[in-house]
Amino acid sequence: MGEASKISRYLYTVIVLFLIWLAITASLDVQELGFGLLLSLIVAAFTYEIFTTNGLANLHPRRIAYMIAYIPYFLWAMIKANIDVAYRVLHPKRPIRPGIVKCRTVLSSDVGKLALANSITLTPGTITLDVDDDEYFIHWIWVPDEALVESEEEHVKASSEGITVPFEKFLKVIFG
Amino acid sequence: MLKRALAIISLLLIGYWIAQGLAGVPFGQDRMLVAQYYLDHVKEQTGAVNAVTAIVVNYRGFDTLGEVTVLFIASTGVGALLWRRKKQRTAKTEGSIVLTTGTRLLVPFVMLFGAYIFIHGHLTPGGGFPGGATIATAFLLLYMAFVQYEIPHKAFEKVEGAVGVSYVLVGLIGLAIGGYFLYDWIWQDWGFGVDNIGRLLSGGFIPIIYTIIGLKVGTELSGIIDNMLKEEVSE
Repeated sequence: MGEASKISRYLYTVIVLFLIWLAITASLDVQELGFGLLLSLIVAAFTYEIFTTNGLANLHPRRIAYMIAYIPYFLWAMIKANIDVAYRVLHPKRPIRPGIVKCRTVLSSDVGKLALANSITLTPGTITLDVDDDEYFIHWIWVPDEALVESEEEHVKASSEGITVPFEKFLKVIFG
Repeated sequence: MLKRALAIISLLLIGYWIAQGLAGVPFGQDRMLVAQYYLDHVKEQTGAVNAVTAIVVNYRGFDTLGEVTVLFIASTGVGALLWRRKKQRTAKTEGSIVLTTGTRLLVPFVMLFGAYIFIHGHLTPGGGFPGGATIATAFLLLYMAFVQYEIPHKAFEKVEGAVGVSYVLVGLIGLAIGGYFLYDWIWQDWGFGVDNIGRLLSGGFIPIIYTIIGLKVGTELSGIIDNMLKEEVSE
């Protein structure tokens, strides 16, 4: 995906910062709004170059809808995984089979890779150790049988099915 | 062994001595003499809701000017101690994509929040020093994530000097108008924001001074980080 124009990137940064300002002041006083806009304009002028490469394209309705849908989906995955880890901790035999697996992702943007890495780490049982281009190295608390194979292709396929694919269908649309 | 035993015994003695001294202080009782005056008059005299800010910037503005000077001397001292002819960043290990992208996304928010802290100095806890430190944190993040990153030195030095001068200038205007240094002319003479107490545009010159301090502390701490992270390289 190519870079958006400077104006579009600047405006996107201003909009995001102003929304954050609204959230932290929690006030619709006209003075607060005015200063918030002013500070957003100033801070965005210094930081828009590192903040975004897509600019206003990030505000596409389809992306926002997927992002809103992703939040409950992700929270549910987190609750399930936490219960799973609690079960492993409390079980008398402590059934863990830890190992480091390699996954491959279809995401291409940096922000998407960051979001995927954080989603993997925040769902207990899996921790992202390193990201190298489109390869993720992940520490898994219970490596399933399908991933314990000799052939690398099958191993990557099986571990990606278990870890990255469920998040990717959302993150691909949100971040590209 | 003997040294350690002696040190422990003398520390215990000093602790007992301090505890004896503190035992005479009546905790929980109303013993405020000056403080009661501040609490009673802070709103009408300074326009600030945050009494701490009003005391630090307004009633005892000299202290704050002194603190800013101390910080300036610290920054200059670090610069002087670490001064070399040619200094560069020599870090080699670039952060992973998670670190660099995370930093890119966080830096604008950290900066905005730093500005939020110092602009609300007269309303909420915080003020120029925490706000400036928060802004310096944003630059520390950039330094940690990117091996090549350097602050724009020219601009930073100019901002640092300009805001330092403008702090003294605000005080001198007060001297000319009201008769003493750091006299709050915006509140006392203009009455700007009198019907506005508790909202953003009030508090006399406190928001202005805190913006100045925030920028000064932010640029100075970033300069200290910059000085400490660089290493000498041979020609």
